[in-house]
Amino acid sequence: MTPTELSYLSITEASSGLRRKEFSPVELAQACLKRIESFDGNLHSFITVTADLALEQARKAEQELRAGTDRGPLHGIPIALKDLYATKGIRTTCHSAVLQDWLPDHDATTVTKLREAGTILLGKLGMHEFAFGGPSVDAPFPAVRNPWNTAHIPGGSSSGSGAALAAGLSLGSLGSDTGGSIRTPSSHCGVVGMKPTYGRVSRCGVVPLSWSLDHAGPMARSVEDCAILLQAIAGYDPNDPASANVPVPDFRAELKNGIKSLRVGVPRANWFNENRGTDPETEGLFNDALRTLESLGAIVVEIDGQPFSLARKANQTILVAEAYAYHEKRFQEAPEKFGSSVRRRMLEGAFLSAAGYITALRARTVLNEDIRANFSRVDVFATPTAPRPPEAFETIDPNEQNLRPSFTNPFNLTGLPAISFPCGFTKDNLPVGVQIVAQPFEESTAFRVAYAYEQGTEWHKRRPKL
Amino acid sequence: MAKEITLAELQTMAKRSGLQLTDKDLEKLLPGVNRSYNHIFELRRLITDRTEPAAAFVASRTEKR
Repeated sequence: MTPTELSYLSITEASSGLRRKEFSPVELAQACLKRIESFDGNLHSFITVTADLALEQARKAEQELRAGTDRGPLHGIPIALKDLYATKGIRTTCHSAVLQDWLPDHDATTVTKLREAGTILLGKLGMHEFAFGGPSVDAPFPAVRNPWNTAHIPGGSSSGSGAALAAGLSLGSLGSDTGGSIRTPSSHCGVVGMKPTYGRVSRCGVVPLSWSLDHAGPMARSVEDCAILLQAIAGYDPNDPASANVPVPDFRAELKNGIKSLRVGVPRANWFNENRGTDPETEGLFNDALRTLESLGAIVVEIDGQPFSLARKANQTILVAEAYAYHEKRFQEAPEKFGSSVRRRMLEGAFLSAAGYITALRARTVLNEDIRANFSRVDVFATPTAPRPPEAFETIDPNEQNLRPSFTNPFNLTGLPAISFPCGFTKDNLPVGVQIVAQPFEESTAFRVAYAYEQGTEWHKRRPKL
Repeated sequence: MAKEITLAELQTMAKRSGLQLTDKDLEKLLPGVNRSYNHIFELRRLITDRTEPAAAFVASRTEKR
Protein backbone atom coordinates (compact mmCIF):
# COMPACT_ATOMS: atom_id res chain seq x y z
CA MET A 1 0.00 0.00 0.00
CA THR A 2 1.12 3.57 -0.72
CA PRO A 3 1.36 6.09 2.14
CA THR A 4 -1.79 7.77 0.76
CA GLU A 5 -3.73 4.50 0.74
CA LEU A 6 -2.54 3.72 4.27
CA SER A 7 -3.38 7.09 5.73
CA TYR A 8 -6.85 7.12 4.15
CA LEU A 9 -7.79 3.73 5.66
CA SER A 10 -10.69 3.78 8.08
CA ILE A 11 -9.85 2.86 11.67
CA THR A 12 -11.73 -0.41 11.15
CA GLU A 13 -9.74 -1.24 8.01
CA ALA A 14 -6.42 -0.23 9.56
CA SER A 15 -7.16 -2.27 12.67
CA SER A 16 -7.83 -5.38 10.56
CA GLY A 17 -4.74 -4.75 8.41
CA LEU A 18 -2.52 -4.46 11.48
CA ARG A 19 -3.77 -7.75 12.83
CA ARG A 20 -3.32 -9.47 9.47
CA LYS A 21 0.24 -8.05 9.48
CA GLU A 22 -0.32 -6.39 6.07
CA PHE A 23 1.54 -3.37 7.51
CA SER A 24 2.88 -2.40 10.91
CA PRO A 25 1.91 0.43 13.31
CA VAL A 26 5.26 2.07 12.46
CA GLU A 27 4.48 2.01 8.72
CA LEU A 28 1.02 3.42 9.39
CA ALA A 29 2.39 6.24 11.57
CA GLN A 30 5.14 6.96 9.02
CA ALA A 31 2.53 7.20 6.24
CA CYS A 32 0.58 9.83 8.20
CA LEU A 33 3.74 11.76 9.14
CA LYS A 34 4.84 11.76 5.50
CA ARG A 35 1.50 13.21 4.39
CA ILE A 36 1.64 15.83 7.15
CA GLU A 37 5.07 16.84 5.89
CA SER A 38 3.89 16.92 2.27
CA PHE A 39 0.55 18.70 2.63
CA ASP A 40 0.19 20.48 5.95
CA GLY A 41 2.31 23.42 4.86
CA ASN A 42 -0.75 24.61 2.92
CA LEU A 43 -3.45 23.42 5.29
CA HIS A 44 -1.98 24.40 8.71
CA SER A 45 -4.08 21.78 10.44
CA PHE A 46 -1.29 20.93 12.92
CA ILE A 47 0.17 23.33 15.50
CA THR A 48 2.53 20.72 16.93
CA VAL A 49 3.62 17.48 15.24
CA THR A 50 4.85 14.89 17.75
CA ALA A 51 6.73 12.74 15.24
CA ASP A 52 9.26 11.25 17.68
CA LEU A 53 6.57 10.37 20.21
CA ALA A 54 4.37 8.90 17.48
CA LEU A 55 7.14 6.62 16.23
CA GLU A 56 8.05 5.58 19.78
CA GLN A 57 4.39 4.74 20.53
CA ALA A 58 4.10 2.92 17.18
CA ARG A 59 7.15 0.78 17.94
CA LYS A 60 5.65 -0.08 21.34
CA ALA A 61 2.31 -0.99 19.74
CA GLU A 62 4.15 -3.15 17.22
CA GLN A 63 5.96 -5.04 19.98
CA GLU A 64 2.76 -5.49 21.99
CA LEU A 65 0.71 -6.75 19.06
CA ARG A 66 3.52 -9.12 18.07
CA ALA A 67 3.60 -10.43 21.65
CA GLY A 68 -0.17 -11.01 21.60
CA THR A 69 -1.16 -8.03 23.78
CA ASP A 70 -4.15 -6.54 21.99
CA ARG A 71 -5.66 -3.38 23.47
CA GLY A 72 -8.58 -3.33 21.03
CA PRO A 73 -9.52 -1.62 17.76
CA LEU A 74 -7.52 1.56 18.43
CA HIS A 75 -4.26 -0.24 19.17
CA GLY A 76 -1.66 1.16 16.75
CA ILE A 77 -4.03 3.75 15.23
CA PRO A 78 -2.61 7.26 14.59
CA ILE A 79 -4.77 10.09 15.89
CA ALA A 80 -4.44 13.82 16.53
CA LEU A 81 -6.05 16.07 19.13
CA LYS A 82 -7.58 19.53 19.07
CA ASP A 83 -5.08 21.73 20.88
CA LEU A 84 -7.25 22.29 23.93
CA TYR A 85 -6.86 18.75 25.27
CA ALA A 86 -4.20 18.90 27.98
CA THR A 87 -1.29 16.64 27.07
CA LYS A 88 1.38 16.14 29.72
CA GLY A 89 4.67 17.70 28.62
CA ILE A 90 3.32 18.54 25.15
CA ARG A 91 2.56 22.15 24.31
CA THR A 92 -1.18 22.85 24.54
CA THR A 93 -1.90 26.29 23.10
CA CYS A 94 -5.64 26.63 22.42
CA HIS A 95 -4.33 28.36 19.26
CA SER A 96 -3.66 31.44 21.38
CA ALA A 97 -0.77 33.71 22.31
CA VAL A 98 -2.13 33.47 25.86
CA LEU A 99 -1.12 29.81 26.18
CA GLN A 100 1.46 29.44 23.43
CA ASP A 101 4.13 28.11 25.79
CA TRP A 102 1.92 26.08 28.15
CA LEU A 103 3.24 22.60 28.94
CA PRO A 104 0.53 20.86 30.99
CA ASP A 105 1.61 18.67 33.92
CA HIS A 106 -1.31 16.33 33.34
CA ASP A 107 -3.25 14.57 30.60
CA ALA A 108 -6.97 15.11 30.01
CA THR A 109 -8.97 12.04 31.09
CA THR A 110 -9.82 11.39 27.43
CA VAL A 111 -6.15 11.59 26.46
CA THR A 112 -5.28 9.01 29.12
CA LYS A 113 -8.06 6.75 27.85
CA LEU A 114 -6.89 7.00 24.25
CA ARG A 115 -3.30 6.29 25.27
CA GLU A 116 -4.41 3.25 27.25
CA ALA A 117 -6.35 2.09 24.16
CA GLY A 118 -3.02 2.04 22.30
CA THR A 119 -3.46 5.04 19.99
CA ILE A 120 -0.48 6.80 18.43
CA LEU A 121 -0.42 10.59 18.97
CA LEU A 122 0.60 12.43 15.77
CA GLY A 123 0.22 15.89 17.29
CA LYS A 124 -1.98 18.77 18.30
CA LEU A 125 -4.38 20.48 15.94
CA GLY A 126 -5.27 24.07 15.07
CA MET A 127 -8.62 25.50 16.08
CA HIS A 128 -10.45 28.76 16.57
CA GLU A 129 -8.68 30.55 19.42
CA PHE A 130 -10.04 29.20 22.72
CA ALA A 131 -12.70 27.41 20.62
CA PHE A 132 -14.58 30.65 19.96
CA GLY A 133 -14.93 33.47 17.44
CA GLY A 134 -13.82 32.71 13.91
CA PRO A 135 -10.70 31.63 12.04
CA SER A 136 -7.74 32.89 14.03
CA VAL A 137 -6.12 35.18 11.47
CA ASP A 138 -4.08 37.18 14.01
CA ALA A 139 -3.06 34.35 16.36
CA PRO A 140 0.55 33.12 16.60
CA PHE A 141 -0.36 30.14 14.40
CA PRO A 142 -1.92 30.38 10.94
CA ALA A 143 -5.64 29.73 10.42
CA VAL A 144 -6.49 26.20 9.26
CA ARG A 145 -7.53 25.86 5.58
CA ASN A 146 -10.18 23.61 4.05
CA PRO A 147 -8.59 20.70 2.10
CA TRP A 148 -11.47 20.78 -0.41
CA ASN A 149 -10.52 24.32 -1.36
CA THR A 150 -7.88 26.15 0.64
CA ALA A 151 -9.50 29.50 -0.14
CA HIS A 152 -12.38 28.38 2.08
CA ILE A 153 -12.75 27.98 5.84
CA PRO A 154 -12.82 24.46 7.28
CA GLY A 155 -15.41 25.45 9.89
CA GLY A 156 -14.73 25.66 13.58
CA SER A 157 -13.83 25.57 16.16
CA SER A 158 -12.30 22.08 15.70
CA SER A 159 -10.89 23.22 12.35
CA GLY A 160 -7.67 21.22 12.43
CA SER A 161 -9.54 18.02 13.27
CA GLY A 162 -11.83 18.38 10.25
CA ALA A 163 -9.02 19.37 7.89
CA ALA A 164 -6.55 16.69 9.04
CA LEU A 165 -9.13 13.93 8.62
CA ALA A 166 -10.30 15.10 5.20
CA ALA A 167 -6.70 15.41 4.00
CA GLY A 168 -5.78 11.92 5.19
CA LEU A 169 -3.25 13.18 7.74
CA SER A 170 -4.79 11.28 10.66
CA LEU A 171 -7.23 8.40 11.09
CA GLY A 172 -9.15 9.84 14.01
CA SER A 173 -9.40 12.93 16.16
CA LEU A 174 -11.05 14.52 19.17
CA GLY A 175 -12.81 17.86 18.92
CA SER A 176 -14.91 19.85 21.34
CA ASP A 177 -18.33 21.38 20.84
CA THR A 178 -19.94 24.31 22.70
CA GLY A 179 -22.18 25.61 19.92
CA GLY A 180 -21.36 23.34 16.98
CA SER A 181 -17.58 23.08 17.04
CA ILE A 182 -17.40 19.35 16.27
CA ARG A 183 -20.32 19.25 13.86
CA THR A 184 -19.61 22.35 11.75
CA PRO A 185 -16.04 21.41 10.73
CA SER A 186 -17.25 17.86 10.15
CA SER A 187 -19.85 19.22 7.75
CA HIS A 188 -17.50 21.69 6.06
CA CYS A 189 -14.71 19.11 5.62
CA GLY A 190 -16.87 16.12 4.62
CA VAL A 191 -16.15 13.96 7.67
CA VAL A 192 -18.17 12.55 10.60
CA GLY A 193 -18.39 14.14 14.04
CA MET A 194 -20.36 13.14 17.13
CA LYS A 195 -21.25 15.54 19.93
CA PRO A 196 -22.28 13.07 22.62
CA THR A 197 -24.82 13.67 25.39
CA TYR A 198 -23.68 16.22 27.98
CA GLY A 199 -21.97 14.16 30.69
CA ARG A 200 -21.16 11.16 28.48
CA VAL A 201 -17.49 12.10 27.94
CA SER A 202 -15.26 13.67 30.58
CA ARG A 203 -14.31 17.33 30.15
CA CYS A 204 -11.54 16.98 32.74
CA GLY A 205 -8.37 18.41 31.19
CA VAL A 206 -10.19 20.05 28.28
CA VAL A 207 -9.66 23.83 28.49
CA PRO A 208 -13.16 25.20 29.07
CA LEU A 209 -15.07 27.62 26.91
CA SER A 210 -18.44 27.39 28.68
CA TRP A 211 -18.75 24.81 31.45
CA SER A 212 -22.45 24.08 31.03
CA LEU A 213 -22.31 23.83 27.21
CA ASP A 214 -18.92 22.19 26.52
CA HIS A 215 -18.89 18.67 25.10
CA ALA A 216 -15.86 16.57 24.17
CA GLY A 217 -16.29 14.12 21.31
CA PRO A 218 -14.84 12.18 18.39
CA MET A 219 -14.34 13.01 14.72
CA ALA A 220 -13.41 10.51 12.02
CA ARG A 221 -13.97 9.62 8.38
CA SER A 222 -16.73 7.08 8.98
CA VAL A 223 -19.62 6.53 11.36
CA GLU A 224 -18.20 3.27 12.66
CA ASP A 225 -14.84 4.94 13.36
CA CYS A 226 -16.62 7.62 15.39
CA ALA A 227 -18.40 4.90 17.37
CA ILE A 228 -15.05 3.19 18.07
CA LEU A 229 -13.50 6.44 19.31
CA LEU A 230 -16.52 7.29 21.47
CA GLN A 231 -16.37 3.81 22.99
CA ALA A 232 -12.82 4.50 24.12
CA ILE A 233 -13.47 7.90 25.71
CA ALA A 234 -17.00 7.56 27.14
CA GLY A 235 -17.75 6.82 30.77
CA TYR A 236 -18.06 8.27 34.25
CA ASP A 237 -15.19 10.40 35.52
CA PRO A 238 -15.30 11.55 39.17
CA ASN A 239 -12.90 14.36 38.20
CA ASP A 240 -15.56 15.99 36.02
CA PRO A 241 -18.46 17.42 38.10
CA ALA A 242 -20.79 17.13 35.09
CA SER A 243 -19.87 13.53 34.30
CA ALA A 244 -22.89 11.22 34.20
CA ASN A 245 -22.67 7.94 36.04
CA VAL A 246 -24.66 5.95 33.49
CA PRO A 247 -23.84 2.69 31.70
CA VAL A 248 -21.93 2.92 28.41
CA PRO A 249 -23.47 0.64 25.77
CA ASP A 250 -21.59 -1.03 22.93
CA PHE A 251 -21.97 1.77 20.36
CA ARG A 252 -21.33 -0.58 17.44
CA ALA A 253 -23.85 -3.21 18.51
CA GLU A 254 -26.85 -1.50 16.87
CA LEU A 255 -25.11 -0.03 13.83
CA LYS A 256 -26.47 -2.57 11.37
CA ASN A 257 -30.02 -2.75 12.76
CA GLY A 258 -31.45 -0.45 10.09
CA ILE A 259 -33.98 2.37 10.41
CA LYS A 260 -37.24 0.80 9.31
CA SER A 261 -40.21 2.73 10.80
CA LEU A 262 -37.89 5.15 12.63
CA ARG A 263 -39.63 8.55 12.87
CA VAL A 264 -37.43 11.46 11.78
CA GLY A 265 -38.66 14.89 12.92
CA VAL A 266 -37.71 17.87 10.74
CA PRO A 267 -38.16 21.20 12.59
CA ARG A 268 -38.32 23.20 9.36
CA ALA A 269 -41.20 25.62 9.98
CA ASN A 270 -40.23 28.80 11.86
CA TRP A 271 -36.55 27.89 11.80
CA PHE A 272 -34.98 26.99 8.46
CA ASN A 273 -36.08 30.31 6.90
CA GLU A 274 -35.08 32.50 9.88
CA ASN A 275 -33.59 35.86 8.74
CA ARG A 276 -31.46 35.11 5.67
CA GLY A 277 -32.55 31.50 5.90
CA THR A 278 -30.81 28.34 4.75
CA ASP A 279 -28.75 28.32 1.56
CA PRO A 280 -31.01 26.72 -1.11
CA GLU A 281 -28.32 24.31 -2.35
CA THR A 282 -27.70 23.13 1.23
CA GLU A 283 -31.42 22.66 1.87
CA GLY A 284 -31.74 20.80 -1.44
CA LEU A 285 -28.99 18.33 -0.45
CA PHE A 286 -30.62 17.97 2.98
CA ASN A 287 -33.97 17.17 1.33
CA ASP A 288 -32.21 14.57 -0.85
CA ALA A 289 -30.81 13.03 2.36
CA LEU A 290 -34.32 12.85 3.83
CA ARG A 291 -35.53 11.03 0.71
CA THR A 292 -32.65 8.56 1.11
CA LEU A 293 -33.62 7.98 4.75
CA GLU A 294 -37.24 7.39 3.60
CA SER A 295 -36.02 4.90 1.01
CA LEU A 296 -34.30 3.05 3.86
CA GLY A 297 -37.59 2.77 5.76
CA ALA A 298 -37.66 5.93 7.91
CA ILE A 299 -40.80 8.06 8.26
CA VAL A 300 -40.19 11.81 7.91
CA VAL A 301 -42.43 14.06 10.02
CA GLU A 302 -42.40 17.89 9.90
CA ILE A 303 -42.40 19.52 13.37
CA ASP A 304 -42.41 23.12 14.65
CA GLY A 305 -38.96 24.72 14.69
CA GLN A 306 -39.84 27.69 16.93
CA PRO A 307 -38.21 26.45 20.18
CA PHE A 308 -35.13 25.34 18.24
CA SER A 309 -34.82 28.82 16.78
CA LEU A 310 -35.01 30.51 20.19
CA ALA A 311 -32.43 28.15 21.66
CA ARG A 312 -29.58 29.96 19.91
CA LYS A 313 -30.29 33.14 21.88
CA ALA A 314 -30.08 31.31 25.22
CA ASN A 315 -27.04 29.31 24.12
CA GLN A 316 -25.09 32.41 23.07
CA THR A 317 -25.97 34.35 26.21
CA ILE A 318 -24.84 31.52 28.48
CA LEU A 319 -21.75 30.92 26.35
CA VAL A 320 -20.40 34.47 26.39
CA ALA A 321 -21.16 34.89 30.11
CA GLU A 322 -19.35 31.69 31.11
CA ALA A 323 -16.48 32.23 28.64
CA TYR A 324 -15.85 35.74 29.92
CA ALA A 325 -16.06 34.60 33.54
CA TYR A 326 -13.34 32.01 32.82
CA HIS A 327 -11.05 34.54 31.07
CA GLU A 328 -11.94 37.69 33.04
CA LYS A 329 -8.60 38.07 34.82
CA ARG A 330 -6.68 37.61 31.55
CA PHE A 331 -8.84 40.21 29.81
CA GLN A 332 -8.28 42.70 32.65
CA GLU A 333 -4.52 42.14 32.62
CA ALA A 334 -3.64 41.75 28.93
CA PRO A 335 -6.58 41.95 26.50
CA GLU A 336 -4.15 42.46 23.60
CA LYS A 337 -2.99 38.85 23.95
CA PHE A 338 -6.33 37.65 22.59
CA GLY A 339 -6.94 37.70 18.84
CA SER A 340 -9.45 40.20 17.50
CA SER A 341 -12.18 37.68 16.73
CA VAL A 342 -12.28 35.98 20.12
CA ARG A 343 -11.79 39.29 21.94
CA ARG A 344 -14.79 40.86 20.24
CA ARG A 345 -17.07 37.90 20.97
CA MET A 346 -15.97 37.05 24.50
CA LEU A 347 -16.03 40.61 25.76
CA GLU A 348 -19.77 40.67 25.13
CA GLY A 349 -19.92 38.59 28.30
CA ALA A 350 -18.34 41.40 30.32
CA PHE A 351 -21.41 43.55 29.82
CA LEU A 352 -24.10 41.02 30.69
CA SER A 353 -25.74 41.36 34.07
CA ALA A 354 -26.03 38.44 36.46
CA ALA A 355 -29.81 38.70 36.02
CA GLY A 356 -29.40 38.43 32.24
CA TYR A 357 -27.36 35.25 32.60
CA ILE A 358 -29.93 33.76 34.98
CA THR A 359 -32.72 34.70 32.56
CA ALA A 360 -30.93 32.65 29.89
CA LEU A 361 -30.62 29.72 32.30
CA ARG A 362 -34.33 29.95 33.09
CA ALA A 363 -35.14 30.06 29.37
CA ARG A 364 -32.93 26.99 29.03
CA THR A 365 -35.32 25.13 31.36
CA VAL A 366 -38.32 26.03 29.18
CA LEU A 367 -36.63 25.39 25.82
CA ASN A 368 -35.22 22.11 27.01
CA GLU A 369 -38.73 20.93 27.88
CA ASP A 370 -40.25 22.26 24.64
CA ILE A 371 -37.61 20.68 22.41
CA ARG A 372 -37.59 17.33 24.19
CA ALA A 373 -41.41 17.19 24.13
CA ASN A 374 -41.11 16.41 20.40
CA PHE A 375 -39.64 13.03 21.27
CA SER A 376 -43.15 11.90 22.20
CA ARG A 377 -43.87 11.65 18.47
CA VAL A 378 -40.50 11.31 16.74
CA ASP A 379 -37.38 9.24 17.46
CA VAL A 380 -34.74 11.63 16.14
CA PHE A 381 -34.48 15.15 14.70
CA ALA A 382 -32.82 15.89 11.36
CA THR A 383 -31.45 19.22 10.15
CA PRO A 384 -28.71 20.41 7.85
CA THR A 385 -25.59 20.72 10.03
CA ALA A 386 -24.68 24.19 8.81
CA PRO A 387 -27.00 26.71 7.13
CA ARG A 388 -24.59 27.29 4.24
CA PRO A 389 -21.46 25.72 2.70
CA PRO A 390 -18.03 26.84 3.93
CA GLU A 391 -17.39 30.51 3.15
CA ALA A 392 -14.28 31.82 1.45
CA PHE A 393 -11.78 33.46 3.83
CA GLU A 394 -11.98 36.62 1.75
CA THR A 395 -15.70 37.08 2.18
CA ILE A 396 -16.15 36.16 5.86
CA ASP A 397 -18.68 38.40 7.53
CA PRO A 398 -18.53 38.04 11.35
CA ASN A 399 -22.20 39.01 11.63
CA GLU A 400 -23.36 36.50 9.03
CA GLN A 401 -23.74 33.66 11.51
CA ASN A 402 -26.28 35.67 13.49
CA LEU A 403 -28.35 36.21 10.37
CA ARG A 404 -28.83 32.55 9.54
CA PRO A 405 -30.33 29.75 11.65
CA SER A 406 -27.90 27.89 13.91
CA PHE A 407 -28.73 24.21 13.56
CA THR A 408 -26.15 23.16 16.13
CA ASN A 409 -26.66 25.50 19.13
CA PRO A 410 -29.93 23.99 20.40
CA PHE A 411 -28.29 20.66 21.09
CA ASN A 412 -25.59 22.17 23.28
CA LEU A 413 -28.31 23.94 25.23
CA THR A 414 -30.26 20.69 25.62
CA GLY A 415 -27.23 18.40 25.87
CA LEU A 416 -28.73 16.01 23.30
CA PRO A 417 -26.40 13.74 21.30
CA ALA A 418 -25.97 14.93 17.71
CA ILE A 419 -23.97 13.55 14.80
CA SER A 420 -22.97 15.22 11.54
CA PHE A 421 -22.11 13.20 8.45
CA PRO A 422 -21.63 14.03 4.74
CA CYS A 423 -24.75 14.24 2.57
CA GLY A 424 -23.38 15.69 -0.64
CA PHE A 425 -21.35 18.37 -2.35
CA THR A 426 -22.19 21.76 -3.80
CA LYS A 427 -21.65 22.62 -7.45
CA ASP A 428 -18.32 24.12 -6.31
CA ASN A 429 -17.33 20.74 -4.82
CA LEU A 430 -17.63 21.83 -1.17
CA PRO A 431 -18.99 19.30 1.33
CA VAL A 432 -22.37 19.59 3.03
CA GLY A 433 -23.40 17.67 6.14
CA VAL A 434 -26.64 16.47 7.70
CA GLN A 435 -27.25 16.31 11.44
CA ILE A 436 -29.19 13.65 13.35
CA VAL A 437 -30.13 14.29 16.99
CA ALA A 438 -31.29 11.62 19.44
CA GLN A 439 -32.62 11.40 22.99
CA PRO A 440 -30.17 11.75 25.92
CA PHE A 441 -27.67 8.88 26.10
CA GLU A 442 -29.03 7.36 22.87
CA GLU A 443 -25.91 7.98 20.79
CA SER A 444 -26.43 4.46 19.44
CA THR A 445 -29.64 5.58 17.71
CA ALA A 446 -27.89 8.53 16.05
CA PHE A 447 -25.04 6.23 14.97
CA ARG A 448 -27.56 3.73 13.56
CA VAL A 449 -29.26 6.36 11.38
CA ALA A 450 -25.93 7.79 10.19
CA TYR A 451 -24.56 4.32 9.43
CA ALA A 452 -27.65 3.29 7.45
CA TYR A 453 -27.37 6.48 5.39
CA GLU A 454 -23.62 6.09 4.92
CA GLN A 455 -23.95 2.50 3.69
CA GLY A 456 -26.55 3.64 1.15
CA THR A 457 -24.42 6.49 -0.24
CA GLU A 458 -20.89 7.20 -1.49
CA TRP A 459 -20.23 10.74 -0.19
CA HIS A 460 -17.89 9.60 2.57
CA LYS A 461 -15.61 7.94 0.02
CA ARG A 462 -14.76 11.18 -1.84
CA ARG A 463 -11.30 12.63 -1.24
CA PRO A 464 -10.06 16.19 -1.82
CA LYS A 465 -7.36 16.78 -4.45
CA LEU A 466 -4.38 18.23 -2.59
CA MET B 1 -36.81 45.68 21.68
CA ALA B 2 -34.56 46.37 24.67
CA LYS B 3 -33.27 49.91 25.21
CA GLU B 4 -30.09 50.40 23.13
CA ILE B 5 -26.84 50.77 25.06
CA THR B 6 -24.81 53.80 23.97
CA LEU B 7 -21.06 54.05 23.52
CA ALA B 8 -20.84 56.33 26.56
CA GLU B 9 -22.66 53.75 28.71
CA LEU B 10 -20.38 51.03 27.42
CA GLN B 11 -17.31 53.11 28.31
CA THR B 12 -18.57 53.42 31.90
CA MET B 13 -19.38 49.73 32.12
CA ALA B 14 -15.93 48.76 30.76
CA LYS B 15 -14.23 50.96 33.34
CA ARG B 16 -16.29 49.44 36.17
CA SER B 17 -15.35 45.97 34.90
CA GLY B 18 -11.65 46.82 35.14
CA LEU B 19 -11.18 46.62 31.36
CA GLN B 20 -8.71 48.88 29.56
CA LEU B 21 -10.34 49.11 26.14
CA THR B 22 -9.96 51.80 23.49
CA ASP B 23 -12.97 53.62 22.05
CA LYS B 24 -12.31 51.74 18.80
CA ASP B 25 -12.53 48.41 20.67
CA LEU B 26 -15.76 49.49 22.33
CA GLU B 27 -17.30 50.65 19.04
CA LYS B 28 -16.66 47.19 17.61
CA LEU B 29 -18.22 45.60 20.69
CA LEU B 30 -21.35 47.73 20.77
CA PRO B 31 -23.46 45.83 18.18
CA GLY B 32 -22.76 42.50 19.90
CA VAL B 33 -23.58 43.89 23.35
CA ASN B 34 -26.87 45.29 22.09
CA ARG B 35 -27.65 41.99 20.39
CA SER B 36 -27.07 40.19 23.71
CA TYR B 37 -29.42 42.61 25.49
CA ASN B 38 -32.08 41.96 22.88
CA HIS B 39 -31.62 38.21 23.31
CA ILE B 40 -32.30 38.52 27.03
CA PHE B 41 -35.33 40.72 26.33
CA GLU B 42 -36.74 38.01 24.03
CA LEU B 43 -35.88 35.16 26.41
CA ARG B 44 -37.76 36.87 29.25
CA ARG B 45 -40.99 36.27 27.33
CA LEU B 46 -40.48 32.51 27.68
CA ILE B 47 -40.28 32.34 31.44
CA THR B 48 -42.81 32.62 34.23
CA ASP B 49 -42.32 33.35 37.93
CA ARG B 50 -42.22 29.61 38.50
CA THR B 51 -39.38 28.92 36.06
CA GLU B 52 -36.15 27.98 37.80
CA PRO B 53 -32.71 28.21 36.15
CA ALA B 54 -31.40 25.08 34.45
CA ALA B 55 -28.69 24.65 37.04
CA ALA B 56 -29.02 22.79 40.27
CA PHE B 57 -27.14 23.05 43.53
CA VAL B 58 -27.01 19.64 45.12
CA ALA B 59 -26.40 19.52 48.84
CA SER B 60 -24.31 16.46 49.56
CA ARG B 61 -23.13 14.94 52.81
CA THR B 62 -19.50 14.34 53.59
CA GLU B 63 -19.16 10.83 54.89
CA LYS B 64 -17.35 10.43 58.23
CA ARG B 65 -14.14 8.42 58.02
